Amino acid sequence: MSKIELRGIKKDYQGTEIVKGIDITIEEGEFAVIVGPSGCGKSTLLRMIAGLEDISSGELVMGGKVMNMVPPDQREIAMVFQSYALYPHMTVADNIGFALSLKKVPKEEIAKRVKDVAKMLELEHLLERKPAALSGGQRQRVAIGRAIVKRPKVILFDEPLSNLDAKLRVQMRAELTKLHREFGSTIVYVTHDQVEAMTMAQKIVVLHNGHVAQMGAPLDLYHQPDNTFVAQFIGVPKMNLVKGRLQNGLFTLPCGEQVQLDSGYGSAAELQLGVRPEHLQIVRGGAGWEVDLVERLGVETFIHLHCQTQEQLVVRQEGDCQYEVGEKVALTFAQDRCFLFETDGKRRLPAVAVAAAC
Amino acid sequence: MVSLVREAPMDTCVSGQQAQRRAYVTLVLISLFCLAPFFWVLLAAFDPKASQFLRLPDSLTLAHFHNLLTNESGVRWIMNSVVIIGSATVLTLIFAGLGGYALSRTQAWWKRPLLYAIILVRIVPPPALIVPVYKVMLTLNGWMHGFITGLTDDAALQTTLLRMFSFVDGYLGLILIYTALQLPLAIWIMKTFFDAIPKDYEEAAALDGASQWQTLRYVLIPLALPGFAAAGLFAFINAWGDFLMPLMFTSSPELQTLPLGMFRAFLRVDAIDYGFLTALAVIYTLPAVIAFAFARRFLTQTFSGGVKG
Repeated sequence: MSKIELRGIKKDYQGTEIVKGIDITIEEGEFAVIVGPSGCGKSTLLRMIAGLEDISSGELVMGGKVMNMVPPDQREIAMVFQSYALYPHMTVADNIGFALSLKKVPKEEIAKRVKDVAKMLELEHLLERKPAALSGGQRQRVAIGRAIVKRPKVILFDEPLSNLDAKLRVQMRAELTKLHREFGSTIVYVTHDQVEAMTMAQKIVVLHNGHVAQMGAPLDLYHQPDNTFVAQFIGVPKMNLVKGRLQNGLFTLPCGEQVQLDSGYGSAAELQLGVRPEHLQIVRGGAGWEVDLVERLGVETFIHLHCQTQEQLVVRQEGDCQYEVGEKVALTFAQDRCFLFETDGKRRLPAVAVAAAC
Repeated sequence: MVSLVREAPMDTCVSGQQAQRRAYVTLVLISLFCLAPFFWVLLAAFDPKASQFLRLPDSLTLAHFHNLLTNESGVRWIMNSVVIIGSATVLTLIFAGLGGYALSRTQAWWKRPLLYAIILVRIVPPPALIVPVYKVMLTLNGWMHGFITGLTDDAALQTTLLRMFSFVDGYLGLILIYTALQLPLAIWIMKTFFDAIPKDYEEAAALDGASQWQTLRYVLIPLALPGFAAAGLFAFINAWGDFLMPLMFTSSPELQTLPLGMFRAFLRVDAIDYGFLTALAVIYTLPAVIAFAFARRFLTQTFSGGVKG
C-alpha cells in the first residue's frame, strides 16, 4: 500500500505539452479516478505513473521515493490495460502466473496463488483456456487477476470497462469496488465515463486540457463545482448554463425571465447561471418556455425547453408526467441551488458563502 | 474462371449444360498438359527403363535412387545444399526478426527511406550483382586464406577450414550471399507482422517484470511464429531453387550443390540417364515440399483474443 504524489508533472510530446503541470496526492489505499474527455492527457498521466512514458518534468513520488527513473517492474505496481493485453498464446493460468514465473517463484506457489486469485474472480473453471475462448467479461477478469496476483501496492486501470456492454459494465463496477475493499491496494483508475467515476471513486480528479480542473470527493464535485467544465462534466444530463445579467441579486435572462439569488454575489453584465435539471420545476399553464422534446426513461422524464430568445434548458420531471411538444409552460428555479459562473467559466462565490444543503 | 464460362452460355441460347461440359473438358485437357511433365518425372524416377517419353513403367524400382546416393555423390550434394541453405535460412530469420521488429517499432524519420532502400536491393536482378559481389568476396577470401594458413600448418585441417570458411569456393561465402539475397523480403514480412502485434503486449510484459530478452523469448517470438514461418519458407524455397550462385562461387566438386550436380549430370557427354536425372529431380523437390508442410502448421496458427478495441 503506497501513497502517490505527483508534483508539477508535465509531459511534452514533440513540442506539444499534453500534461501541463499536475499536482495530485493519492492517499494510501485510496480509490482515485482520473476522469476527463478524450485528449485531456489522462491516459498519458497514468502511463507516466506506470513508467511506460517518460516524465518531462516534475516529480513522481510513491511510498516516499522518487520514481521518475525507476523501471516499471520495480515500482510495485500492476496495470490493467484497456485492451486487456492478455498473452494470446498462453492459457489463463499462464497469463495470471507469468509475472510470478519471471520472478522465479517456485512452481507450487505459483499454482497456489493463481488458484487463489482464480477463485476470488470466479475463473477456476477457465484456467486451462486460451484468451480467444473467453468472453469479454472473462477476459477482463483475467486481466484483473494478472494484476492482483503480484500483490502490488498500486493497481492502475486504463479505461478497463470501455469494451464491455452496458450490463456487464454495471456488474464490473460493483465488483471492482468490492475488490478494492477486500484488497486494500491504492487504485488509480482512468476513465472518460463520469458515471464510473461517481460510482467507484473516493477521490475524483477531473482533467481538462492537461490541467486539473478540480479534484475531491464525488458529491463535492457534484454539489460544489469550481468551474463550468466540472459543472457540466459531472452529472447526467449536464448542468444547464444560460447567459444573463445580474443586478442586486436579480439574475435576468435575455428572454426576460428573472431569478432571485443571494444579494452577496454583486453585479455584472455578463455572467452565466448554472442550474441542474432536477433543480428546475415546470409550472403548468404558464408562459415563456416551449417544450421541444420529451425523453421518457420510466423513472424520470427529461423535458427540453426553449424560450423566445432560443436559450435552451433541460428539466427533470417525474416518470409519469404528461407534457406535449409545443406546450407553453413557465419555470421556477431552486434559487439556493443555482450557481453563477464568470464568462471564463470560473465560479463566482457570494460574499457570504451560502451553505449548500445536501 | 469457371464462373465466366458458366455465365456466357446462359445469355446465348445454346444448351447451358452442354457448354459447361465443353468448358470442363477444355480445362481438364489444359490441366493434363500442365501436369504431364510432373507425372513423367515421378514415373521415370521409378521406371527401370526410363526414357524421355511419358509411359507407365512395367515394374517399379529404386535403383535410380540407389545409384544416385551410392555410386554418384548424391549424398554429398544433398548435404551441401542442406547445410548452405539451412544456415542461410536460420541467419535470415535471426536478422529479419531483429530488423523487422526494430523497423516496426521505430518512428524515426529514416524509417520509410530505409524500408524502400531495402526492397530496392530485391529489385536488382541477382546476375547484375555478381561481378561486384564476386570482387568483394575475392578480396575477403584473400584475407581469410591468409588467416587460415597462418592458423595451422596441418594441410588436411587447412583444407577443411578453407572449405567451410572461404568466401569463394566455401560454405561461408554462399551462406552469406543467400542470407543477403533473402533478407529484404524476410525483413518486410517480419516488419509487417510485428506491425500487427500491439505494443500493449510488450508493455504488459514490462509491467510483469520481463526483461527485453524475456519479452522477446516468451511473448514476441511465440506471437510472431506465423511470420517467421512465412519468412523462413520464402527464404528457404527461393534459395533452394537457386542455381546461379553455386555456379559462380564454387568450383570444387566437393562443394557442388544439388542443382549444380543435376546440371553437370545433364551435360555429361555419354548417353543421358533419364532415370538418374528424374530421381535427382524428385529428391531436389522433396525438401521444398517438406519445408512447406512444416511451415504450414505455423502459417495457419494465428492468435486472437488477447487484445480488444
